Amino acid sequence: MTARILIIEDEALVAMELRFVLEDLGHEVIGTVADARTAREMAAETQVDLALVDIHLSDGPTGIDLGRELGQDMGVTVLFMTANPGMVRDGVAGTVGVLTKPTDERAVQTAVDYALRRRQGVPVEYAPPELQLFG
Amino acid sequence: MPAPDLPANEAERLKALEAYGILDTGSEQAFDDIALLLAEAFDAPIALVNLVDADRAWFKAALGTSGMTGSSREVSFCAHAIAGAQDQLVVPDALADPRFADNPLVTGEPHLRFYAGRVLRTPEGMALGALCVHDVQPRPKGVTELQNRMLEVLSRQVMAQFELRRAIREREEGVQALAESEAKFRAIADSMPQMVWSTLPDGFHDYYNARWYEFTGVPPGSTDGEGWNGMFHPEDRARAWARWQESLATGELYEIEYRLRRNDGIYRWTLGRATPIRDADGKITRWFGTCTDIDDLKRMEQGKDLLSQELSHRIKNIFAVVSALIALSAREHPEAKTFAGAVRNRINALARAHEFVRPHSEVSRPTVGDTTLHTFLTALFKPYADDAGMSRVIIDGDDATFDDQAATSVALLFHELATNAAKYGALSTPQGRVLLQTRNAGDRFILTWSETGGPSVAGEPTRAGFGSSLATLSVEGQLGGRLERRWLPGGLVVEADLPATALSRRRAALKTG
Repeated sequence: MTARILIIEDEALVAMELRFVLEDLGHEVIGTVADARTAREMAAETQVDLALVDIHLSDGPTGIDLGRELGQDMGVTVLFMTANPGMVRDGVAGTVGVLTKPTDERAVQTAVDYALRRRQGVPVEYAPPELQLFG
Repeated sequence: MPAPDLPANEAERLKALEAYGILDTGSEQAFDDIALLLAEAFDAPIALVNLVDADRAWFKAALGTSGMTGSSREVSFCAHAIAGAQDQLVVPDALADPRFADNPLVTGEPHLRFYAGRVLRTPEGMALGALCVHDVQPRPKGVTELQNRMLEVLSRQVMAQFELRRAIREREEGVQALAESEAKFRAIADSMPQMVWSTLPDGFHDYYNARWYEFTGVPPGSTDGEGWNGMFHPEDRARAWARWQESLATGELYEIEYRLRRNDGIYRWTLGRATPIRDADGKITRWFGTCTDIDDLKRMEQGKDLLSQELSHRIKNIFAVVSALIALSAREHPEAKTFAGAVRNRINALARAHEFVRPHSEVSRPTVGDTTLHTFLTALFKPYADDAGMSRVIIDGDDATFDDQAATSVALLFHELATNAAKYGALSTPQGRVLLQTRNAGDRFILTWSETGGPSVAGEPTRAGFGSSLATLSVEGQLGGRLERRWLPGGLVVEADLPATALSRRRAALKTG
């Protein structure tokens, strides 16, 4: 299944690599943004199925609130991707879980698949081991 | 005229006399009455309550002396009385007594002839002077039995009066000393930069210094009793109350950090400490406490924490950037895909290990419970799970903590072992498993990696890959241990035998240093 994915990541290299991986998998990356404000604008303008959200963005540690808002208010499925998963140790309401960076293509693929299946209500037997689920 | 001898304990005697504080005080009815009664009982014209000072005799009460308030010690009859061992001296006729025959008070005015005196002796035995009568006529018969009794009883009365005065005087001095010490305490307490308070043994606050009222801005007395708790931040009240009750119950030192409301309404982090004062029996008589504003210190600490967190974030982020850079570079060169994948996986293993390195701040603490070897290895082997999500690498044995120096080596060693097992060993078949045993053996720490259920092993491979060299380098080069591989038919067994200090070298250095 292909999805419209928004990458929210302030490290350009990491974002670019992620974009390539997702496009290889057949997804449509509708944008890579580096701060929370631009992310909100983009999510408001266009349909987003899944957002990959880093916690430390170019405007500070704004990823957590952004992820919660996208998930709870804007109907976006949210996966956090961060080098510091301790920041979301207690979980974030309305989001799926967290993937620890650096990661690899396979982990990204399985985590994205898992999140999209959950979004569509498809039963999933178990989550990929690299993905730490909330709740 | 022979001068009166000095009593043997003259110096102490003078000190005692001084301590009563009677010398040179005004006349008092109590002593005048005694002198009058004594004179009447003896039918004598002169009666004295006479105190013998270093070089004079001084009359506390005097009857019939025509205004004389004392004499030199030399001419004093009483000075002779106190020099002897007897409590009583009677001189029937001074002219017939070689000690007094040429005494100017005898040869001249007022022509003293008869003397009867009884020494005024303190409970400690010091002779302060004497109660005495004089007559200007000789009394060959001396004193009657009744007069003798009278002298004895009245002299005791004089001493009793003296004692009473001494007791009152000491009490007054005590009260004054206490007031002085109280004033000193308040002066010190009020000039301290800290807030100072005190309570009764049951914890009832009855004293705060000026600094407390200055800081909190509350009216004096308004925080007596339990009112102090209301000055704390609502979130800290229950905790502080519980801690205080615990100290009151156990007598243990009270120490706690809480936020205290300043007069401008801002809550400042404060260190509260209190210690009990005990009496001779060990019973708590009071608590004395201080509050110290540590808000600035706290902020500095938080700033430092923030900085080290930021640094830690940056370091972890760099791993992510490097990893992405390798993947992006490999896209240019499809032939390098395998190579890039291997490098990337190694980088990722290193990054993962740094997640688990101690120390951690509250925020950078990893998501999994604890930062130990076992939790790290569990995370590292997460990708090698079976269909039910159970790890195929089973970790068992003694756990340990490790530092950043050991992190790289431990990560590389087990990354290589697992990658190799996934390619050629036990993890290459669905039913294969690995048992990783960790054992703390005194000064050694031994990790044993045993593969089972994989393809049967023919023997040592003819060619060792780079991964294998990396594993050896990590253990023998970096950790200072020994790595041994055994290709058993059932599966590979690898034993890493490390010095116990290898995992936390910095901590080990701190211990011995």
